[in-house]
Amino acid sequence: MKKMTKLLFTLGLATLFTYTINPASSFAIENSECLECHSDESLTKESTDNILKSDITVNLYVDEEKFNHSVHNINGITCVDCHSDIEELNYDDDLPHKEYLESVCCANCHEEEGEAFKNSVHMEILQKGITMTCYACHGYHYVMPMEAALLAERENNYCLKCHNPYQYHEWLPAQESHFAFVECIVCHAPEVSQQIHLNFVDLVTNKLYQSDEIIDILGINYNEFMPMIDANEDGKINQQEFDSLILMLRQKNVYARFHAELVAVLQPDAHQVKRGMAEKTCEKCHMADSPYFDAVFLLLTHEDGTVDHHEVERDVLESYNMSHFYLMTGTRVKLLDKIGFLLLAGGAFVVMAHFTVRILTIPVRRKRKEDKE
Amino acid sequence: MNHDNQIYVHPAPVRIWHWINAFGFIILIFTGFQIRYADILNLLPLQNAITVHNYVGFAVIFNYFLWLIYYIGSGKIRIYIPDLRTFVSKAIKQMKYYGYGYFKGDPNPHAMTPENKFNAPQQKAYLAIMLILLPAQMISGVFLWKIKGYQDYINILGGIKVIDTIHVLLFFIFTSFIFVHCYLATLGHTPTAHFKAMFTGFEDHHEEHDEEEILENPQLN
Repeated sequence: MKKMTKLLFTLGLATLFTYTINPASSFAIENSECLECHSDESLTKESTDNILKSDITVNLYVDEEKFNHSVHNINGITCVDCHSDIEELNYDDDLPHKEYLESVCCANCHEEEGEAFKNSVHMEILQKGITMTCYACHGYHYVMPMEAALLAERENNYCLKCHNPYQYHEWLPAQESHFAFVECIVCHAPEVSQQIHLNFVDLVTNKLYQSDEIIDILGINYNEFMPMIDANEDGKINQQEFDSLILMLRQKNVYARFHAELVAVLQPDAHQVKRGMAEKTCEKCHMADSPYFDAVFLLLTHEDGTVDHHEVERDVLESYNMSHFYLMTGTRVKLLDKIGFLLLAGGAFVVMAHFTVRILTIPVRRKRKEDKE
Repeated sequence: MNHDNQIYVHPAPVRIWHWINAFGFIILIFTGFQIRYADILNLLPLQNAITVHNYVGFAVIFNYFLWLIYYIGSGKIRIYIPDLRTFVSKAIKQMKYYGYGYFKGDPNPHAMTPENKFNAPQQKAYLAIMLILLPAQMISGVFLWKIKGYQDYINILGGIKVIDTIHVLLFFIFTSFIFVHCYLATLGHTPTAHFKAMFTGFEDHHEEHDEEEILENPQLN
């Protein structure tokens, strides 16, 4: 009993402490309250453009559906977690909160990203009077989970908004291939870790399969995927297991090829894009033992946006089941080297053998010539 | 220069094509090795190797079309087409010569003339090289040069790894061929006779010297 009293007292103190420190949470404003007004597509406010100093109309509409799929909503972040200067809504006023809200500082939560950004070229341009905000790249209300995103989504929504890659890469051989298979920050933020992401593509229609389609085709649940594929239960998909997966799909009349992309791991370092620091040494990637291809994953995205990373052994990249992915030197087919060696050795052997016999038989030909004379 | 005892077998356009092609091949082979084995070889930076490989590759393609136009335009392409009625027996005879008769000092069963320049197996090998293997190497090379641009064709042919396999296998075949080709070129009536002919155009037949005589008296060569 004494213990129970002590526990209740502690809980009471904790509650009182929490409410005192963070008053907003005591009167938590639900997203639905915000959306009562902000779901109105015609909701706007008059403002002044920072640069041109002209009057502009700012749209204040928030698409609830899109917001619900955003990474912030998935992680339980509410409107007032970011717009934290709204402490209460006063419905007696026409505008239930103050007219001008403070700018949202993403680095309040994303501290490490903020620190990495401070050392980036995008921060450097502040000296030129250009302020690069987080939302210039990321947007704000609809930041999507990018973990399993394709390269095109990653780049189109970020770097390619401002940068034209063809303007700065004259030196780069096979530009289009690099742009199509390698994410910008793999080279431009070289300290970031990289991964190869494999996606299923229909060989006939060239259409990318969504994860749920693959799971449906295989007739399993997400959590049954690895137990079904990973026969040796080492947690990795090896060459043989990969071949079995292809075979299983073929038995279901699905002829899949794999689309592979070299992408950056979404970690704070990805913000550390520095001027003149881009990786320009081809051999960093185009090496048989390049660390860029150590981490290969087959990604399956659940409906709620969470992603299963299924590790695939690097050797799979060299197989002919990955016939639509090839990286010079880096993923070369070792069997071809052996065949090549045999061809060269065969040619050299024929020459050497003939030459040896040719030297050894000189007396025979000399004698014959002498006899003839 | 007196050419009384010589026959003119290699016209100037052919010689020019041959040497451009030869130097092109050597550069392509070296840069090709560098590109494929960048982790082992360090002949030149990979980026430079790729750039040189691309430029020289296009030069060889351009050169090939000069060859094709010249040979088709002049009708000389006939020298590459084997006579199917006599081809097999001539090829066997020629192979026997290289494998046995040559060592005994037998005469070469093939007498070179401008109209019948190649012996039977040589004719067949060059036909395959010039009309199948080299075009396949050029096409696969162009595809590898601009993978995205030719993606549709590459996909139809089975993917980039299939194209690369074709290019690499042919690369090894051509490299091996160069060994054998250079060696066979020493089997003329003197070890350097065919090399000289590829510069002058004339095959020299007026003096026969055994190779051992030349080894002993290099001035005869």
